[in-house]
Amino acid sequence: MEAPQYVAARVQQALAEDGRTHELGIRVDIRGDQLFLRGQVSGAEQRERLGQVAHEAAPDLRVHNEIMVVEVTEPGEDEHLD
Amino acid sequence: MTELRIAAVGDIHLGEDVRGQYRKRLEGIEDRADVFMLAGDLTRHGTLEEGRLVADELRGLPIPTVAVLGNHDYHSDLQYEIAAALRDAGVIVLHDDGVVIQCGDTKLGVVGGKGFGGGYAGKCASEFGEREIKNFVAHTRYIAEAWKVSLKEMTADLKVVLSHYSPIKETLEGEPPEIYPFLGSYLLAEAVDTAGADLILHGHAHKGREKGMTPGGIRVRNVALPVLGRAYAVYCLGENGSC
Repeated sequence: MEAPQYVAARVQQALAEDGRTHELGIRVDIRGDQLFLRGQVSGAEQRERLGQVAHEAAPDLRVHNEIMVVEVTEPGEDEHLD
Repeated sequence: MTELRIAAVGDIHLGEDVRGQYRKRLEGIEDRADVFMLAGDLTRHGTLEEGRLVADELRGLPIPTVAVLGNHDYHSDLQYEIAAALRDAGVIVLHDDGVVIQCGDTKLGVVGGKGFGGGYAGKCASEFGEREIKNFVAHTRYIAEAWKVSLKEMTADLKVVLSHYSPIKETLEGEPPEIYPFLGSYLLAEAVDTAGADLILHGHAHKGREKGMTPGGIRVRNVALPVLGRAYAVYCLGENGSC
């Protein structure tokens, strides 16, 4: 059986290198037969693509897609750099 | 000299599925800021289609807009084509050079480019050993030198450095320390400290922190969108008043 650390590394590499995602900085954790994705992306479709690529890279694991979509809010308060 | 308001953001990573959404957040930017700066990673995959989409989102903004590209924008080896699309849309794109923007009575100088990695003093790569390592560090050193020269030669009332990679590790806190060498280099900060500037803006570190400063005391702000959690930040430089 392949060590979970290597599976997690392979999934992370797939998320970064797959042409559908190219997403760096997504955390991949494996506990037993479950795979957790965490991080932030700019759109809901990108989150779904990441889940799909992770599933293809580790088809035997149950993928929990906990990636957040960044909500772009109003600019907010100015900072004065005196 | 009057106060200058700089709107800044990085890592907007626009794709077809979010077309038009970021542009909506730029409405009224002219009331909030005098200039808009983008710190790289404007696209996801660095394709020309995404580059054109970003150009459409930024086209015809009512205030001067300055951008640098990030590592994502280089991924498809179309960085020059993406830069050209942005320039066609009226965006000033810096590539290790500078521009002076006249803003009322104030001359604002902006110097910058993508930047690069290597790590931070005491825990960094050196130009030693294999050619690949030497090339890696030499690329950052070349960029830092270009920024230093550009800053020194520039005549402006205020100077801002716009980068994608981080010049300091303080604004990376939250990222795994193991990847710091791929998030920036102290060589960038050293060059800016040597030449002098009023503010450094960067992106790239989505899990980092907004605020830091160089060893020379220049304020650094990580304006990556996930760090800001808002469409852009506004930083005011100079004296009281409006530009």
